[in-house]
Amino acid sequence: MNGLMLALFTSSIDLTGAQRFLLMFPLCLSIAVVYKTTRCETLRELPGAVLLLWVTIVVGMFAVGLGFWVLFTSLV
Amino acid sequence: MSNHEESASIRAPVAGLLAWLIPGLGHVYLGLRTRGVVLLVTVTATFWTGVAVGGVRATVDPYERRLWFTAQVCTGGNTIAAYVLRQRVEQRLTPAEKMAPASHWLPADVGVHYTGVAGLLNLLVILDAVARAERPRAVARSRNLATAGSS
Repeated sequence: MNGLMLALFTSSIDLTGAQRFLLMFPLCLSIAVVYKTTRCETLRELPGAVLLLWVTIVVGMFAVGLGFWVLFTSLV
Repeated sequence: MSNHEESASIRAPVAGLLAWLIPGLGHVYLGLRTRGVVLLVTVTATFWTGVAVGGVRATVDPYERRLWFTAQVCTGGNTIAAYVLRQRVEQRLTPAEKMAPASHWLPADVGVHYTGVAGLLNLLVILDAVARAERPRAVARSRNLATAGSS
């Protein structure tokens, strides 16, 4: 069991480009959880605030990516 | 110096140090237990997910990725544990294995980003703990709201 746990952290996991892209979602969720935990007055309002911020970050990143893609395709 | 100021001058550095050592512990020290546990789970899970994806040798690398390592150090205890693990792994490698790349660049990049972001998030947690320690009334208000069922 210890050897298995050790192997989990000592060797890397093979990722495809799509898997790397999908790993953006939990990272954005972590950012939203920590930020809102420090900002919210009560923890009861945390789930809603986290969800809203998470969606905002993801949609914002897609919008920026789409904007750059449109700019790139129109220039090249 | 009044008692209030004296108390804040001791509590703030202690809360900051505890938050650096173990994410969320500064908040637990201030009596904000649920908030501290949420921060502990989130920051620690983010850090160790990064290490699991990239492998400890490629992720926690103070020699090749100094700036990222500086960000990782903000998670204190997690980075110390990962660095000790890295040193143990390095000791077991043969010279040929040491010369080989620690990981493919794709998972290594993801791992470094996860651990670096976890460090920067914990910097936010440390600053929040210190700020709350300097404002005991705000902490008491948060505690009261928690005990009133708003947790």
